[in-house]
Amino acid sequence: MMKAKDIMTQAVATISGSATVAEAVASLKENQVRTLVVERRHPDDPYGILSETDIIYKVAAYGKDPKQVRVYEIMTKPCVVVNPDLGVEYVARLFAQTGVHQAPVVSGDLLGTISIHDILTKSDFVEKPKTYFELYCEEFPDAPEARMYDA
Amino acid sequence: MLKAQDIMTTDVVTISGSATVAEAVALMTEKGLRSLIVDRRYSEDPYGIVTETDIVYKVVAYGHDPKTMRVYEIMTKPCIVVPPELGVEYVARLFANTGIRRAPVIKGELLGVVSVSDILAKGNFVNQPQRPYIEDEIDAARDEARRICAEQGATSQACAAAWDIVEELQATASHNRADRALS
Repeated sequence: MMKAKDIMTQAVATISGSATVAEAVASLKENQVRTLVVERRHPDDPYGILSETDIIYKVAAYGKDPKQVRVYEIMTKPCVVVNPDLGVEYVARLFAQTGVHQAPVVSGDLLGTISIHDILTKSDFVEKPKTYFELYCEEFPDAPEARMYDA
Repeated sequence: MLKAQDIMTTDVVTISGSATVAEAVALMTEKGLRSLIVDRRYSEDPYGIVTETDIVYKVVAYGHDPKTMRVYEIMTKPCIVVPPELGVEYVARLFANTGIRRAPVIKGELLGVVSVSDILAKGNFVNQPQRPYIEDEIDAARDEARRICAEQGATSQACAAAWDIVEELQATASHNRADRALS
């Protein structure tokens, strides 16, 4: 089973919650990414995320001046985070159920980000689609349900 | 004001609604696209769209086999379409109000696709933010100023302050128009 860490994007750009949206746009363009992770203020602080969609929906759509709006006003914090060992199918299910398109991959530290695009372009779901039952059997090979019988 | 046609991606690929999801994925990966436009079956048929999100949310998340699922089972059709002359601020507002991230640009025929990424990369909302409804805001501020002046007198401080607001809005609007003329 492929895991989040196998398909995540390791190059992450971060930004402070107090930065302006104009600075966030510049960083998105410069780093050629579609999402920024918002830096934690202390080790117990949750992670936040800022996406292209946040900027378009909440700033551009209203003609607000990105130089006057701050990241903390439009970011999502706390955000959904993904464990690096989570199976890709579970990441997809988590995304579908929560309506998110990208999330930081975190295990103690920030390891990367994972997006719909990563799932589509790097995972093996076309060659090896996995149902919940198959995932369960992979995880618990000794379970009675997982037994294979020769026909 | 920039228009949809100024920032859209003209590199568009279409797919048939009866194609398999596996074929859609192969096409998207090969062309480096995040959405495909679903072919109309005849000239009055509406346009449809299938995105990366549709595939991940409706196929991968449930472990369905992309080789046996078809595009028509997961596509959005009819989909929201954008006319090429729509201002970028209005495209942004339309996207925000409807919760979409990309839409085909159509005038008679398919011209391109416009997405939140296009707005971010090619729009000028950072340097020239445009309030799309500023003319309405001016009308409302003028009504308000008239009401205040009628109630508190034409020489009152509140009356003068209310007209200052109108003038400020008008200045912003004419500044926007000048920007538009330049661009």
